[in-house]
Amino acid sequence: MVRRILAAVALASLAASPVLAEIARIKSSTGAATVERGANHIPAKPGVQINPGDRLVTGKDGRMSLSFIDNTRFAVGPNSNVAINQFQYDRTRQKGSFVTQVDRGSLAVVSGKIAKSDRDAMKVRTPNTLLGVRGTKFIVEVPE
Amino acid sequence: MSVPRLAAACLLLSGCATSSLVLLPDDEGHQGQVAVLEAGGKPTAAVIAQGNSRTKLGDPTPTTQPLGQKGLKAQEAALLTSLPPPAKSFVLYFDLGTATPTPASQAVLTALRAEIASRSGPQVEVTGHTDTVGSEADNDRLSQQRAEEVLNWLAGQGFDRSLMSAVGRGERELKEPTMDNISNAANRRVEVIVR
Repeated sequence: MVRRILAAVALASLAASPVLAEIARIKSSTGAATVERGANHIPAKPGVQINPGDRLVTGKDGRMSLSFIDNTRFAVGPNSNVAINQFQYDRTRQKGSFVTQVDRGSLAVVSGKIAKSDRDAMKVRTPNTLLGVRGTKFIVEVPE
Repeated sequence: MSVPRLAAACLLLSGCATSSLVLLPDDEGHQGQVAVLEAGGKPTAAVIAQGNSRTKLGDPTPTTQPLGQKGLKAQEAALLTSLPPPAKSFVLYFDLGTATPTPASQAVLTALRAEIASRSGPQVEVTGHTDTVGSEADNDRLSQQRAEEVLNWLAGQGFDRSLMSAVGRGERELKEPTMDNISNAANRRVEVIVR
């Protein structure tokens, strides 16, 4: 019983840690590169933290790259609009679900632990397709 | 929607130009797959498995072509070049019951510092572990102390604490599974992931 209470306390303190809200960080950017969070437009500077629901937007000369907490890596090309629709990751069990939507432009992906955890746990949506990622490196291009 | 109407809608929207997928082997040379779960709103069973290939998306039975002689387009190559470097892992070891890294692990600290300093927008995840000597509660505390010791050292080297997180996992994730109350040097460790 004591053990179970201790475990519950440990879990509660983990859940309270603000670090777990972070799902990714911007690693690099050039040109016009913005993280859109609701009405907020945040310049995509290195170190900026990404939350689920954020939209990655670049202009004609813009690029940005980011690393997720499950080791997924993204590079967003110029003139792009990419939404992180869903990202859930259990660091201890190394399982989760991840849905990205490429509305416009180009996105290079090296998948991470979520894609390995369960079949099609990582999905990428384009205007005409839903893709299930099964552990790999790829580029999705959606011309304007 | 019939094919002519779909084509007409594409002409009207002009945003309907065909999206495409370039599938590549990962950095270790393994070839993964991408399944086309839905195309044009309908479920499909198509799986793209051919490495170094290009596929036009939107058709329920997509046609995949090898990249061939022409290889990647210039903008695709540039996109891959801008991917962040892969995460890198470090392991530090500790003597029984202590939260100070062993002398041999001091060199790992130096390498860790250099790795973080070399990265743009770094993020550092520190996880402490113990062997099975002592109670679970004591080991939860000790593993947290070990992780914080490493985090504090890095903070002392000038890295901002907002880049770093420290968690103790006690004796839950043994590197070498043992019975309870077994001293094991491989299990007394801190794992650090730098992204």
